Formats: sequence, structure tokens, C-alpha cells
Amino acid sequence: MMIDAELAGFMESAVMIIVGTRDDALRPQIGRAVGAVVDPAAGGVDLIVSNWQWPETIANIRGNGRLAVTFARPSDYTSYQVKGPATVIPATAAHRACAARYVEAMTATLIGNGVETWVIVSQLIDHETVVLRMAVDMIFVQTPGDKAGRRLEPSQ
Amino acid sequence: MTIRLRDLDACFEGVIPSILATASADGVPNISYLSHVEFVDDEHVALSNQFFSKTATNLQANNQATLLLVDPHDGNQYRLDITFERSLDSGALFDAMAAQLRASSAQLGMDGVMRLRAVDLYRVDQVEAVPSPTTATAVRPSVADRHLAAAATLAVRIAEASDIAAIVDAVLDGVREGFGFSNAMLLLKEPSGERLVTVGSRGYAWSGIGAEVAIGDAVIGTAAAERCAVRISDMSRIRRFGSAIRATSADENRTRTIALPGLADAMSQLALPMIAGGSLRGVLFLESAERLAFSKDVEAALSIAASQTAAAVALVDSLGSEPSLVTSEGNGALAGRPFNVVHHTFDDSVFIDNEYVIKGVPGRLLVHLLRLHLREGRADFTNREMRLSDELRLPELKDNLETRLLLLRRRLEEKAAPIRLLQTGRGKLRLQLAGPAVLAVAKGKGSSTK
Repeated sequence: MMIDAELAGFMESAVMIIVGTRDDALRPQIGRAVGAVVDPAAGGVDLIVSNWQWPETIANIRGNGRLAVTFARPSDYTSYQVKGPATVIPATAAHRACAARYVEAMTATLIGNGVETWVIVSQLIDHETVVLRMAVDMIFVQTPGDKAGRRLEPSQ
Repeated sequence: MTIRLRDLDACFEGVIPSILATASADGVPNISYLSHVEFVDDEHVALSNQFFSKTATNLQANNQATLLLVDPHDGNQYRLDITFERSLDSGALFDAMAAQLRASSAQLGMDGVMRLRAVDLYRVDQVEAVPSPTTATAVRPSVADRHLAAAATLAVRIAEASDIAAIVDAVLDGVREGFGFSNAMLLLKEPSGERLVTVGSRGYAWSGIGAEVAIGDAVIGTAAAERCAVRISDMSRIRRFGSAIRATSADENRTRTIALPGLADAMSQLALPMIAGGSLRGVLFLESAERLAFSKDVEAALSIAASQTAAAVALVDSLGSEPSLVTSEGNGALAGRPFNVVHHTFDDSVFIDNEYVIKGVPGRLLVHLLRLHLREGRADFTNREMRLSDELRLPELKDNLETRLLLLRRRLEEKAAPIRLLQTGRGKLRLQLAGPAVLAVAKGKGSSTK
């Protein structure tokens, strides 16, 4: 489904990206992404993930491709969750450059929010990255409040 | 290496948001942030049930979930494989989490907005450290044993104290010397049951002795109302409760209210209810400019000290029926300059040379002692006599007179007043006047005198 330009901009900005997958026994797994590249028209999102830090997440996508990703802005908790099938592809130089920019921007944002550098480091690892290429088929508003959990219809 | 949940205590402080992942029966994952994960024991955690509907639906169909916790000290991440066991809507765990939520809501000025519906209990199947470049996932040793030893030392110190003043000093000095917490105050409950009054403090710009907190108000009042500990580990996102901190005498003289002291830059706070004989006796309050200053272990250790303090206070109160002697010295023939004492009967506030000293029962006590001294040239007063005095209008005989006298004594010292109550021995006080006292009574809220 299409992703509107505003949401695409939000997903590519300095927001925390958490990645949910599950294994064949339906045991959920958690990982983090260090950057997203959005193709709004195609409804595609490339998520850059460290295979060194989150090998289970990568293995789950290779196994069944089911992916959920929440984007959350630390300053005001604005959050969106997107879901859809994904595949694992190698990270290109452009992806790696995107990840480097993301880590830099996210670090600055978190420091601005009063988080210490040494606390941030282990959450923003861009070592041995791969890309989860996702086709978004569901979008949810996840910001805490009365609209939390509401699904955005394709027309919206 | 096996990681014990209890070693991850800092992860449960709610400083860095935790993450919860679930999956639906047909295999669609869901991932969201959580504000707080509660440590229950080494095999269990609890989550407040305020979930988005997708998480709740998933858990009904598939009780497996995964949590990611972050240690706010070093950023290390831990993955917990958990299994949903059951929802609780009552019991000690539910009550404690509900009280914490109410306290943080009150802090945010959102009283009653965030209400805990249920607490979900999960079994923890496995704990794993997520690879991190910074450390070899070293797990810090538990410091619980050290805190237990400090609590034991403090308990002995409190037990050795033989009157209210000594108990208050033992607690406040003990938390500083044994635990290194240098900003603390002790509040005791008023017999009316509606307020707490500060009887001692350490580490503030002013002592705040006599400052009151309504039961139910802010962190201290919530700990009293809920009768459970309230702990805040990171105030940076929480607007500081209450009015701006101020302590000028001019304000005191106008409002007849003593300002509660506080750290303007407090990051951590801990309020512990003091309960003995099933009744709330007061609150022990600590704060720090450090994040995460009060761990769960510190809370547990200091809870023991708070209970011990409550028991000691209750014991002294019950022994307070022994007559305690107040003698007086300085009968007007002193060399010191005369001073004015004005008693405002509408609230029993007392001003000495236009400086507000105290109000309520301690105010009445001061005026009563002074009047007897002036009228009869009396030298000795007993507690029993004060308890029976019609003039004092004490609400009831069991009133905690010892506490009132302590409050009055400390407040006179703090104001450097020309009247002092000196403790001359166990149960013995001396009314000391630096010069001739001129007592006047003001009726109504105006300033006219007799």
C-alpha cells in the first residue's frame, strides 16, 4: 500500500525503529533497525539491521518473512507501526551510508533528550548490516492516546 | 553464564522504555514500547495492562512474548522470553503497581486519568544478553547484601534512641552515614490523620521543620495514603510537583505556612510509609540529584528502617504518659531586651517579634507554658498537666505531645527565638527566656492585640 509523504518523512527521520519477527514456533523476537529508506509509491521500506547484533531477527525473516516495525519519536512518543512481508537482501553502499547518517542523527537526538552516550551506543549498532526489504500492507497509529492501535486504511 | 533477573534491577526502573513483542495465532508479529516492567521474582515479571488491542488479542491466542530491557547505567540490552500466566486485578502486587501509577499521575497533574485496570503476570523462561560492543555483558554483582548490613546498623541506632528527638536524628543521620543519602526528611502524621508534619530533615537550604503535607498529595502524601513505597528514578520528564521552592521569612510571616524543603534538581525520590501496629505513623522521604539513586534493594533496606522508626515512635508515644517535667528559667528580671509574643487565636499561630514561629497545637503549647510562667512564676510543668489542661484544648488525651514538643523546640531553635525549650534530661524540658516576654492575644485574622 502507498505510504504518504509525511509518514515516509517521519520514518526516515531520527526516530527509534524497533523490529518484531517470530520463529516457526510463533516465539516473537525483538531487534532494532538503524535507518529506513522508504519508497512511498510502492509502499516499500528498506530497514537496515545489524546481523551481528540481531541474528535471530534476520533468521526469522529468512524463515518466514513476517515483519512488524514500530517507528517512535522520543521527544513526543509519536509512533506508527507498519506490517508486511519482508525478505533479506545485502546492504548496498547507499544503505550503509544511510545507516551512518541515522546513527549520527539519532545519537544527537537522544543526547539532546538527556540520554548518556554510553547508553545509546549499544542500541545503535551498524556493524555487519543487512537489509530487510518490506512490502507494507498494514499501517497503525501507535502514539499513546485514544487513537492508539487504530489502523490506517489504504485510502488514508 | 546464567543471568538472574534480580541482577537486572536497574532495567526495571522505567528510565529507558522496554519493548514487548507478541505474535498472533496466524503468525503476524506485533511490537510496541512499554513504559514499565515490574520485577516480581527471579521467575516472574508483571506488566501493567494498558495495551493496544493487538497485543491483548495476540496474548489470548499465543501466550509467548518477548521483552527487551535496557540497563540505564550502561546501555546493555537483555532479551527475556516470557509466557503469559494470568491477569490480576487485586492483591499486593496489583496494589503496589496501582499506587505507583497514581503517584506518577499525580506528579504529571493527571490524577485519576491513568487508572490501572489489571496487572499481567508472566513467567520468565529465559534471560539473554544482547551482543554489545561496549562490554562483555558483565553482570554487576548485587549490592543487596551491603544494603542489608546498613539497614541492620540503622535499626540498632533507632532502637537505641530513647525519645522522639533522638529517633528522628538517628534515622536521618543513619541514612546519610549508612547509605550515603544526604537529602532526607522525616514527617509524622498529625493525630487528625489528614496531614503529615515535618519533624526533621538533612541536606536542605532550610530545615522545613513544621512544614505540612496533606495525605494524598504528591509523592510523600501518596506514600502515606496508599501505605506503600513510592519510588521515582528519573524525574527529568516529570514536572516537579508543587509550588516553586521558596523559604523567605517574609512569605512565612504572610502565609503562616512553613515551606517544605526540596531539591530543585531532584532526579530520584523515595517515599516510605512508616507503619506500626497497623497504623500509619509518618513518612521517611529521600531525594537525590542523581538518576536511579534508589534501587529496589535500597527501597527494601530502607523499608525495614522506616518500619523500625514507626515502631520506635509508637513506643515513645505510649510511654509518653509518664510525666515529663518542664522547668522554666528567666522570670522577667533578665538582662536581655524585652520581646513581644503575639498569639493569634483563630489558628493558634504565634509570632515572636513579628516573626512567624508556629501554629496549631504546638503554638497553643508555647503560649500555655509562657502564660503559666508569667502568671504564676511557675518553674515546673509536667506533660500530664498539659494533657489535662482545659486551656490547651488538646483534641484528645492520646495526642502525641512528645512530637509537638519536639516540633516546638526545634522550630524555636531554628528561628533563633528568645524563648527556647531545652531538653535537660529524659522527659525533662526547660523553658528558657532571654529577656522579659510581653504576651499579647490577637483575635480574628487582623493584627490587633489585646
